[in-house]
Amino acid sequence: MNILPLVLYAAAFVAYAWHFAQRNPVVGRSATTLLVAAALSHTFVIGMQTMEVGHVPVQGKTSAISTFVWLLALSYLYIEMTTEERAMGVFIQPLLVALQAIPAFRTSIEDRAAVLQGPLFGVHVSSLLFAYASFALACVIGITYVLLFKEIKAKHLGFFYARLPSLQMLDRMNQRAIVIGWIFLTIGMIVGAIWAAQARGYAAGDPRVQAMSLQDPKIFVALLCWIVYSFELFAARRIGWGGRRAAYLSAIGFVIVLFNFVPISYFFSKSHNF
Amino acid sequence: MQLLLVGISYRTAPVELRERLDFQARGVADALRALALRGSAREAVVVSTCNRAELYVACDEAAATRQDLVHFVSDFNGVAPDEIAPHVYDVIDLDVARHLFRVAAGLDSLVMGEPQILGQVKEAHTSATEARTAGPVLNRLFHTSFAVGKRVRTETGLGSGAVSVSYAAVALARKIFGDLSGRNVVVIGAGEMGTLTAVHMKSQAVRHVTIVSRTMAHAARTAEAIGGASAAPWEELDAVLGATDIVITATGAAAPILTRAHIEAVMRPRRNRPLFIIDIAMPRDVEAAAGEIEQVFLYNIDDLQATVRENLARRASEVAGAETIVNEEVGKFGAWFRSRAAIPTIVALRERFEAIRRAELERLDFKLSSLQPEARARVDEITHLLIEKLLLTPTEQLKSLSDADTVGAYAEALTRLFGLAEPEERPNVESFARNRPPRRRA
Repeated sequence: MNILPLVLYAAAFVAYAWHFAQRNPVVGRSATTLLVAAALSHTFVIGMQTMEVGHVPVQGKTSAISTFVWLLALSYLYIEMTTEERAMGVFIQPLLVALQAIPAFRTSIEDRAAVLQGPLFGVHVSSLLFAYASFALACVIGITYVLLFKEIKAKHLGFFYARLPSLQMLDRMNQRAIVIGWIFLTIGMIVGAIWAAQARGYAAGDPRVQAMSLQDPKIFVALLCWIVYSFELFAARRIGWGGRRAAYLSAIGFVIVLFNFVPISYFFSKSHNF
Repeated sequence: MQLLLVGISYRTAPVELRERLDFQARGVADALRALALRGSAREAVVVSTCNRAELYVACDEAAATRQDLVHFVSDFNGVAPDEIAPHVYDVIDLDVARHLFRVAAGLDSLVMGEPQILGQVKEAHTSATEARTAGPVLNRLFHTSFAVGKRVRTETGLGSGAVSVSYAAVALARKIFGDLSGRNVVVIGAGEMGTLTAVHMKSQAVRHVTIVSRTMAHAARTAEAIGGASAAPWEELDAVLGATDIVITATGAAAPILTRAHIEAVMRPRRNRPLFIIDIAMPRDVEAAAGEIEQVFLYNIDDLQATVRENLARRASEVAGAETIVNEEVGKFGAWFRSRAAIPTIVALRERFEAIRRAELERLDFKLSSLQPEARARVDEITHLLIEKLLLTPTEQLKSLSDADTVGAYAEALTRLFGLAEPEERPNVESFARNRPPRRRA
């Protein structure tokens, strides 16, 4: 089921790379069309799964990844359409392809654990997935910022200079993505904590609920992320850590997010293995 | 019908001669009218810029028209033909198309890929349309050239990258700051270079330009001369730098006026807002080490010249791609142009058939007159449709011919088989551009 979106994401990646190298407007439009097709087919897949199980598939490890990829593709398309800037596509597509490969080849069984009840759980998961999508965009924008910054500093105005928007614009987009991500990360974590407190009431015997504390790697690393991004926001506003330092921080932050999202969920977390 | 180009350009003629053959200055509309009156060309467009003066015409016989055009250039500009002749180049038919497409694409420009020429070619065509000297052939030719110019611009990097130092500086500023409209500029030094740069920056619609000079009176005078700029005394330099985004230094100082430590001190209260320093002074005004400060982008005149050289080299590497586009479009235009060679034959054939039809209807008039008016109209319609059907395939076949010899052979055969009139006696199939009602432009 997740194969078709994967194929389309891969095709979009090829088209974005081609567009980035050749800057042919026709190829650029085809790239966007392919990505829109990928997102639509992905919407269809997720919609079918939602109808099948009665809720948005976010509980199985791989289906959460699929939903995350879908959100990221939509967020990217939103940015592309509002800024009319296609240059970032070539950096975001590999992430979409790599992550979508996981659910495409390992479908998880979406059976709702009894403990996962109530609207708070849905808010918790969807806020965090949206925060992660924002951080992914911030990371990609940060990488492009550094690439352009280095070219201008080195006085060698070449490949990226001709293709990327201005440093100022990249910096502003990065900041905006971080702010949005940080807000959703905060909401997601607070709601998660409230939900865990409630769950202790009705499912105290569940070992996963018992593991929900700061000692659990997943929760600990999430808090670490929150600290990194909070610092970035503070530093950009108070001590002038905009530009390149903010770009590096958003890359580091997203590496932690990705680490938390895939390997930690799979292998280490005792609290979040549903 | 033949296409002919007669012209001079910076490649063939020195500037002294180009200045004297300036159609732009004497009025392109007058030139077109004068050219039309001579009657040697059926259609004409005059492209006149400071680097070239070219006459594009459609005519019946290129060799004779060429002579007349050289005389026209000579008469119109009051320059003896002998002076012009050695510098004139001329090409015919599809080479005219190739030349114009290369011109419109910027391939024939002094600065490879420069964008102004496309606008100038469009203007030339507009003038000809207004003077009613452009007809179907030149209209098609020029419209195709606009498309070529546009394709080369979007599909190749021929026009990309700044190729002058001042444009390179502005392009860099845009890459750092995006929109320049909210940016403050400081020019340090009120000499000639400083003034020139300040004027250039002012034309980029920046927020404010401040001139700082060791002598306040100089700064004030320069600021006044530029208009809309203000002057600040030397002592306030640090305060001014704190509020600025782009600094241009152009003093005659022997030692650097801005050291690394100095700029570091300025950057701190700015909270690392980017600072773009363009040092166009010689010797340099800014310590090179200042460029190592985070968020300080320091370019001196050599750096800017190096980027200009890189851009020129990059443009040169895009030429092959642009030439491919030109070739493609010449091919397409050529197919259309050659298909026009068959048009006189097609028209003659149609007229012959129509004449036979009319003659037969007249001959049978006494039999048809007994019919009802509707029935007569039906007979007229049926005979007309019959002719259309008969002519459909021959017309398509003739139009698809793309080689002049084949067209000639077909024309010859058809002329004999159907007893068509000889070419000279045929009515003029090209609607004479000058005689058509003026086309209003939106």
